[in-house]
Amino acid sequence: MPTNQGLQTKLQKEIEELALSITEIVVKFRELHNPLRESSEKVPQATEQLDKISEQTEAATHQMLDRVEEIVQQVEESKSGLEKIRTCVKENRIDDIEGIIQDLTNKADVTCNGAYTIMDALQFQDITSQQMNHAASLLEDIENKLQSIMGVLNGRQDDKDKSSDKETGKKNRVYDPHADLFEKKTEQSVIDDLFAKKT
Amino acid sequence: MALKIMVVDDSPTVVKFVSFSLKKGGFEVVTACDGMDALEKISNLPDGIDLIITDLNMPNLDGYGLIAALRQNPRHVDTPIVILSSEDGEDDRERGMEVGANSYLVKPFKAAVLINEVGRYLKTEKVS
Repeated sequence: MPTNQGLQTKLQKEIEELALSITEIVVKFRELHNPLRESSEKVPQATEQLDKISEQTEAATHQMLDRVEEIVQQVEESKSGLEKIRTCVKENRIDDIEGIIQDLTNKADVTCNGAYTIMDALQFQDITSQQMNHAASLLEDIENKLQSIMGVLNGRQDDKDKSSDKETGKKNRVYDPHADLFEKKTEQSVIDDLFAKKT
Repeated sequence: MALKIMVVDDSPTVVKFVSFSLKKGGFEVVTACDGMDALEKISNLPDGIDLIITDLNMPNLDGYGLIAALRQNPRHVDTPIVILSSEDGEDDRERGMEVGANSYLVKPFKAAVLINEVGRYLKTEKVS
């Protein structure tokens, strides 16, 4: 049976080890704090980017569908106009043809403008591609932070190093984090004025 | 002979869209996927280039680096350079101006606006 002195020494040793463990835990929690905070901030940013992609893709698609509808309508009317010309030729009403041709020319212009509007709208691919790269980049940052957290929890330095290693084979993403299909911070005329002052 | 314009952008969609618009405007188009590619292609063009349209955010060499490099070359001191970027912050515009760009268009843009902008520097029968 241990003496009082022996028991006291054993107890003191246990308490010292417990204090050391608590200190280590506190240090680990401090190491975890920043990656956890940064990850929690980046998740909403990535979500916001993904929502924006969905909204802007939908808006651009609707814009294109409206123009396609308009183009189809113009083509249908043009076919009808060509039939009218055929009838005029058969019935020898040559004077009526000029008006129909003018109408067809106008319809061709509307069709052409509609095609250009579709082309303009197709730029959404470039903008949403940049937004997706931004979201992917945020998610990769979160992945790195989680790896760092795992490293701290497992006490493995190589996990922590991996998280900050830029040579992990991940895609080098070049993008504009502010790319937006609709929201422009500055009007084009303001930018033109700035450059005009230079010259 | 048609005037020659170089389009520099890492987005194939933008390159295709801009090239189509310029060709319809009566210009000859040369394309590059980043600043380094542009410098290499420009150096191999015996007749030079009449105007350059460039993006800013690109791998290898970005638009700012490309413009700065071109402005250091006596052959391209006066070549009109139009920035085409989705970055429309004040810093980007001022930096673009400082390195020597002539104008700055914000993406997305209308083809007609681009042709009009190019027409400020180059005149072809179709544009004028």
